[in-house]
Amino acid sequence: MRDPILALLAKSPAHGYEVRQRLVEALGPPGQALNPGQVYVTLSRLERAGLVRVGQVSQQRHPDKKMYELTAAGSERVAEWLADVSWSKVTPTDFHLKLVAAAATGLADPVALVDAQRHELLRQLSEVQALTLAEPADSAGGLLLEGAALRLAADVRWLELCEQRWLERLAQSDRAGGAGRSDRNEER
Amino acid sequence: MRSARLATHLAWRNIRRRPAQAALILLTLTMATGMFGVGIALYGSADGAWDRVWKATDGFHVSASYYRGGEVPRTGTGLTGVRRRFTELAAAPGVRAVGGPWLLLHGRLDVGAGTSDARSGTSDARSGGGYENLTAEVRHPGRSPVDQPLVTAGSWLTATSGGIVLEQGLASSLHAGPGDHVRIDGRGFTVRGVAMTVSQGRFPLTLPALVWVTPATANRMRQAGLTEEGLEMQLRLGNPDNAAAFAAAHRNIETSTPTSTLSLETWRQRRAASHSDIDELAGTVLAAGVVVGLLAVATAALIVADRMAAQTRQIGTLKAIGVTPRQIVLALLAEHLALAGLATLIALGAGRLIAPQLARTSLTVLGDPETPGLSAGRVAVVAGVAIVVVALSTVRPALRGLRHTTIGALATQARPPRRPARLARLAASAHVPLAAVLGLRSAWRRPSRLFTNAVGLTLAVAMIVVAAGLRASLSHLTAQPTGPGEALSGNAVGALYDQVRIIVLATAALLLVLGTVNAFIAASFAARDAARNHAMLRAVGATPRQTVVSLVVSQFGACVLAVAAGIPLGLGLWQLIDEGDLPPVSVPDSALALVAVAVPLVFTAAVSLPASRLARRPAAAALAYE
Amino acid sequence: MSAGAGAVVAARGLMKAYAANGVPVRAVDGVDLVVEAGETVSVMGPSGCGKSTLLHLLGGLERPEAGEIVLDGRRVDGLSETAWAVLRRRTIGFVFQAFNLVDELTAVENVELPALLIGAPSRRARRRALELMERLGVADRAGHLPDRLSGGERQRVAVARALINDARLILADEPTGNLDSRATGEILRLFADLGRSGQSLLMVSHDARVASTADRLLTMRDGAIVGHTRLDAGSSSALFADMAGLAHKGGHGPRGGEH
Repeated sequence: MRDPILALLAKSPAHGYEVRQRLVEALGPPGQALNPGQVYVTLSRLERAGLVRVGQVSQQRHPDKKMYELTAAGSERVAEWLADVSWSKVTPTDFHLKLVAAAATGLADPVALVDAQRHELLRQLSEVQALTLAEPADSAGGLLLEGAALRLAADVRWLELCEQRWLERLAQSDRAGGAGRSDRNEER
Repeated sequence: MRSARLATHLAWRNIRRRPAQAALILLTLTMATGMFGVGIALYGSADGAWDRVWKATDGFHVSASYYRGGEVPRTGTGLTGVRRRFTELAAAPGVRAVGGPWLLLHGRLDVGAGTSDARSGTSDARSGGGYENLTAEVRHPGRSPVDQPLVTAGSWLTATSGGIVLEQGLASSLHAGPGDHVRIDGRGFTVRGVAMTVSQGRFPLTLPALVWVTPATANRMRQAGLTEEGLEMQLRLGNPDNAAAFAAAHRNIETSTPTSTLSLETWRQRRAASHSDIDELAGTVLAAGVVVGLLAVATAALIVADRMAAQTRQIGTLKAIGVTPRQIVLALLAEHLALAGLATLIALGAGRLIAPQLARTSLTVLGDPETPGLSAGRVAVVAGVAIVVVALSTVRPALRGLRHTTIGALATQARPPRRPARLARLAASAHVPLAAVLGLRSAWRRPSRLFTNAVGLTLAVAMIVVAAGLRASLSHLTAQPTGPGEALSGNAVGALYDQVRIIVLATAALLLVLGTVNAFIAASFAARDAARNHAMLRAVGATPRQTVVSLVVSQFGACVLAVAAGIPLGLGLWQLIDEGDLPPVSVPDSALALVAVAVPLVFTAAVSLPASRLARRPAAAALAYE
Repeated sequence: MSAGAGAVVAARGLMKAYAANGVPVRAVDGVDLVVEAGETVSVMGPSGCGKSTLLHLLGGLERPEAGEIVLDGRRVDGLSETAWAVLRRRTIGFVFQAFNLVDELTAVENVELPALLIGAPSRRARRRALELMERLGVADRAGHLPDRLSGGERQRVAVARALINDARLILADEPTGNLDSRATGEILRLFADLGRSGQSLLMVSHDARVASTADRLLTMRDGAIVGHTRLDAGSSSALFADMAGLAHKGGHGPRGGEH
């Protein structure tokens, strides 16, 4: 959860409450189950790691007066995270949050991210396949390779769906809001 | 009731979706029923006219005729015995009125350059100076109680005026009328009038020619050389229906020797024999109708079978909207029965319109032919023909359709190719072109379609053979010189058979066209069914021409069958046709050779068309076929 | 995209449109494509994106509305049907998704058909056909008619047929669609050999596992090529390490987790 929260702060500083709100919006119904406290805990950890700092205290009556914003290291970290295409420990939720964050902050084109990820997976898949074809059939190694291939192929398929969905989404908001806006955050 | 409504709805939908096929079935059906309609109407159209004249002339119920041939004396001594027998007959119970006995004189009518009127009928170089055998019936002045001929031009004989009255058929052939002169045995006679009678058939199909004369004129004729050849007497009974019984009761009066005959005839017999040419014509049209009907069955069967196959494949979808196989079959029957009904109506109308026109060309009808009105029997026959055609063409596919379950429906209708035919293997080793081998392989996929196709073509080939025989026979006939004494009438028979020949040739041409259409349809269906295979062949490098060749070869079996069976069938039919007047000529070999060459050519052209059409399109289009 | 000297097929500006219910739809919209000799290229994309149409166009089964195709150095987009057919015999091998075999011929007759079409003696054609079928594991079904074969067997027979004339270019549309993993493996191994003999393969597949065995992967969407991936064999150590990481749980994994 650390990287997504960092990314959500990249667009503009925000209260902790706002951050949670953005997360919930991004995740939909599953986000409601998110423990509010976890957000603050993560934010504190990020602060300790030097990736986030607390900004000016606002003048509002709201009890939470802390305003968080990215440090330079934090921005760097966000950029790194967006560009990373490793996959072995990434869950669908993680990736989805990455896309949402990219769209929300305008730091990267979600479709391009999906594309890059897909290309990476295809490269991995092609390596697996090369190994598989070299293996004699019915070997134990072959079984493992087949498992890896199946999962990679499934993920590629999911990425294609993501690309399709995001293309549609962006086309819709293009039509709704006119072209050229960097802030495409009008999510329904 | 719901079933009926649904069937009707489906039937109408089918007709709308494939109007060309429905139109084709309607066309062939109508041709078959039309021919039946015309033929049947023809049969009755002469009788009305005959009855009219019969009533107007106080026509006979029973007639007694005596004829003698050979060298006969000029005066009436030989006829005394006959006269006595006639008198006895006239006195028999049941006789109400007697006409005659009238003396019959035999003479020769000058035909050709001799007749006074330049408008003579046959002025051939062949018969220039020829003559026609003539009978002069000697009538006493005054109205005869039986058979007073109906005058159509001029006037009847009177005691004082002299002159002769021509029988209407003779007058028509001579183009002669009142006031004209004719020469009989070198003497000139003036025509006083023209009249119709039912006592004998109309010239030129009934011979000899007939004129009526007064006793005074008869004397002049005897002096000119006419001989007495017979006696004619006509009786009327109390009830015309007794005529047959009367004649049967007096059979003993009849005699028959090599030189003379005495015979009785009833009015019904005469009427039946009086319009032989119309009967012949009607018979020919009906026979042609049967053949066209068979072809209509073949065409309809092809189309129906294909439709059933297509619909059976969609049975799953149709079931989903609540349609059962039974309803599909009902719809099929409804559609075709509707077409049959329409064809029947058209046919009955055609009969009323066309039959009189055809009958007017007859040489035997007395005056204007009357088309008989629609009788229940006539309607039933014509409708029956249409229903029989529909039944024959739809029964088998419909039964098959009923029997199909969903699983069965998923399978194609084609007989699955079994092990490759040995013939094809032989062809392959004999270096037959690849395309032809492929065609041979697919030849037996749909045997029923092949046979249906072959049936149509076989009929056409057979009829063409018959027509060739007729043509040869007729040219033989017309090449023969007319016999003496038949200078005028000799060509009449030829004219009649011309009529028959035209009908037969037209039917043969029609059948060839229909057979070709059949072949075309079968080939279209085959091309469509083979479209997928052909696309695959082209994808691996077969040229479009190779696919066309393979299709033609696959269909060619029907053509081979048609020629192999049609020629013998035609020859056999030709033998059966018993035309007494036609010389027995065999069908010339040149005609058979022509048929054996021309039919395959026409067939190949007809079959190449749909195949070429498909082959010209890019292959992927055919791959889209389901 | 300029074609190298060894290009088997080069297409430029290909366009093909259909009328679907009166609305013109571009199945292939401005596609440029080059396949080098000995290369395997795969095409992926959602259904209806025009992959099959592209294959048909390159093989002459359909005519483009615009654009040009150069096959083996020869301009072919304007050829007649007959010329295309003759060209296909030696140059192109098709493997289709369905509609594969001529159902009146036995399996082996189907396979040897292209060889007979180029005039090979029937004995040689039969021998080569049986060799290929042996390789694909369907030699025992040689004398059967297609309706007696399973979907997978039919597919393998179709592949054998496509290969019999050593075609320069194999065009395959979902060639492993009906096959289990073992048969798929056989086919993919066979395809891998193609490159070695200088034959090229252009393959459409929705299955990423199959598509990724190619040297290059193209992504199509709405009739156009929108993506291009080079699938050069990279180092496999990272991959193995990842997999091995599962076995060494708790030990130092090669990549530190991000979370």
